[in-house]
Amino acid sequence: MLKNWIRKDIVLCVAIGVNAKSADQWLKYAESQMRGDRSHSEMTMTIQTPNWNRTLEIESDIEGKKEALSTILSPAKEKGIRTLRIENNMWNYFPKLKRKVAVSSSMLLASWMGSDFTNDDVLKASSMAEDYSHKFAKDEKKFKVIENLAKSNSKVMWPRIVTYASKEDCLPRMYKYFDKEGKLKRTLHFSAIKKFNGHKVPTHWEMIPENDKTKKTIIDYKSIDFNIKFKPNHFSQMNLTGN
Amino acid sequence: MKFFLLIFLVFVTYSALAMESEFSGNIEGQIRNSTNNSEAKDAPLFQDWNRENFYLLYGNLHGKVEFGESRIEANWFARYSESNLYEPAPIGPFNRPPYIATGIFTFPNRLVARDIFQMQHIDQSGNHQTESILNKFYYEWDGSDKRFMIGRLYVNYGLGEIFNPINPFNQPTALTSTSQVAQGNDGASFTFFMKDNHLIQFLFLGDKRIENYDGSINKTFWIHGEYQFSDKLQIDYVLGEDQSRNKIGGQASYQFDEALMFFQFLYQTELITPEPSNNLWDLLVGLDQQLTTKWHIRFEGGYQKQDQYASLTTFTRFLPTEYFAALANVYEPHPLVKVSGTIINDIKSGFSYFIAKGTFSVTKSTEIEAFGFSPVSAGDETDNLAQKLVTTDLGIALRTFF
Repeated sequence: MLKNWIRKDIVLCVAIGVNAKSADQWLKYAESQMRGDRSHSEMTMTIQTPNWNRTLEIESDIEGKKEALSTILSPAKEKGIRTLRIENNMWNYFPKLKRKVAVSSSMLLASWMGSDFTNDDVLKASSMAEDYSHKFAKDEKKFKVIENLAKSNSKVMWPRIVTYASKEDCLPRMYKYFDKEGKLKRTLHFSAIKKFNGHKVPTHWEMIPENDKTKKTIIDYKSIDFNIKFKPNHFSQMNLTGN
Repeated sequence: MKFFLLIFLVFVTYSALAMESEFSGNIEGQIRNSTNNSEAKDAPLFQDWNRENFYLLYGNLHGKVEFGESRIEANWFARYSESNLYEPAPIGPFNRPPYIATGIFTFPNRLVARDIFQMQHIDQSGNHQTESILNKFYYEWDGSDKRFMIGRLYVNYGLGEIFNPINPFNQPTALTSTSQVAQGNDGASFTFFMKDNHLIQFLFLGDKRIENYDGSINKTFWIHGEYQFSDKLQIDYVLGEDQSRNKIGGQASYQFDEALMFFQFLYQTELITPEPSNNLWDLLVGLDQQLTTKWHIRFEGGYQKQDQYASLTTFTRFLPTEYFAALANVYEPHPLVKVSGTIINDIKSGFSYFIAKGTFSVTKSTEIEAFGFSPVSAGDETDNLAQKLVTTDLGIALRTFF
């Protein structure tokens, strides 16, 4: 059985071009699959507690690692609110009041719309492949376990993240986020792998905070277009304020 | 001119009916119990009331039509306010509604700051006031790197949330109980987006409100620019003639790793009209920081030179203080709950004012807000009459969005 797993792991990961012996390449492969060079996606985010649910619909555009633009499609209260990130600068735009607000980069660690995700998660400001150094830890059953430690010069909010990646497709199934004291703070589960334009992506994400496991935030990707071509000024203040 | 503009807008709106359109809005009801400042009751303020309730119902209906590179946006604002404070006949030297508090409770009580086109109806009778205003109505055209707007515009920029001197076109509402309120300004705007790091906006606005409506236009010509100097530093500049003064100023904002820091300066000359006047200048220093995922703080401190010639009833700034420091804390203990506390202190007089708000989402489109406003220390300056007008209020608001 174990031999079968190892063989399957090697066969599949080699087939998709990943050297399974390198944690760096493993992570880069996963990131290239999940985020690509650019993408346009539509998703729902559901904040769930035992007593109530709240669902937001979001549209998200990403170009490389430096530019991102998200728009809230519903509910009515937040509809149309947009966030633009260009490198380390962020702006929120409230279209009904025509108000553009520069946001402190410290806001990247703020909860996004009251969810268990942060602005950093939604705007994909940090890159697991580039902002962290990686090494394999001991495998756990069908998972490759990768220790990700923040590089000293990177500006990320989690000093340590542990990735549990499937040996079948090299994509993550779980991230565990640890704070400076080494305490586990939250866990992100991935499932429902689907293929969009040749990219394999987990489309169901569940973020569970450690301090209150009765609540969680779920992201379900409805569509992702990795072949999108954005207009030259798509990630610009003119476009941000033009809707 | 107005007639042709109206025809033009109707024509474009009609031709756009088949295009992409969107409508949204909000309605809010508020009940507030207010206790008067005892020092406001006698001469020279004559605010001789003790404790009153104030009821407010207001809402926005916002529409947008897009066709190609063009867009028409409009916002209809309606407000009904009721209180015994509207009831008595004007007292003393004031020619405004009987008690000044009603204007503060409905701040910003002028929803069109520079008014040529009117398009508003205000009626006060008995114990209530009704307003119906088209406070946004403009045509916009977007080119590849330029934008043109004409009509009744919202002009919003600047980082100050409590005091934002570089923007004379919209008053910050952080210290009020209102939300989703903005002031319209009549005129035209040309914005040029030069490269990725520089935009410059030219504003040509008019105002017939101060003079007789058919009299001369009190014009505003204003330049506002934003220049991204580096990854961390942005410089904004403003320059122009507005409200019969020449003004120049700017804002510098710097992104530290942990916080955003900003600085504003605005200098205003004496009135360019013959009336006696003094020059004015404003300073602001601010800091904005997210301390944890749930806790956000903001500090704003500054100075605004008082207009020695402005009467108390025509002050244009909410909660006027000369030297001030304000600290705002916002905490989100739960996804449905947001609480905030802001304390603002007039350094010179010692006057302090505290604002507490708690917002609870009851459905995905409805929220309840409880609010309280109270002076926490009386100023030791006897000549700052405006501070004596500050009341102690407790209230609750129900707002829904559609």
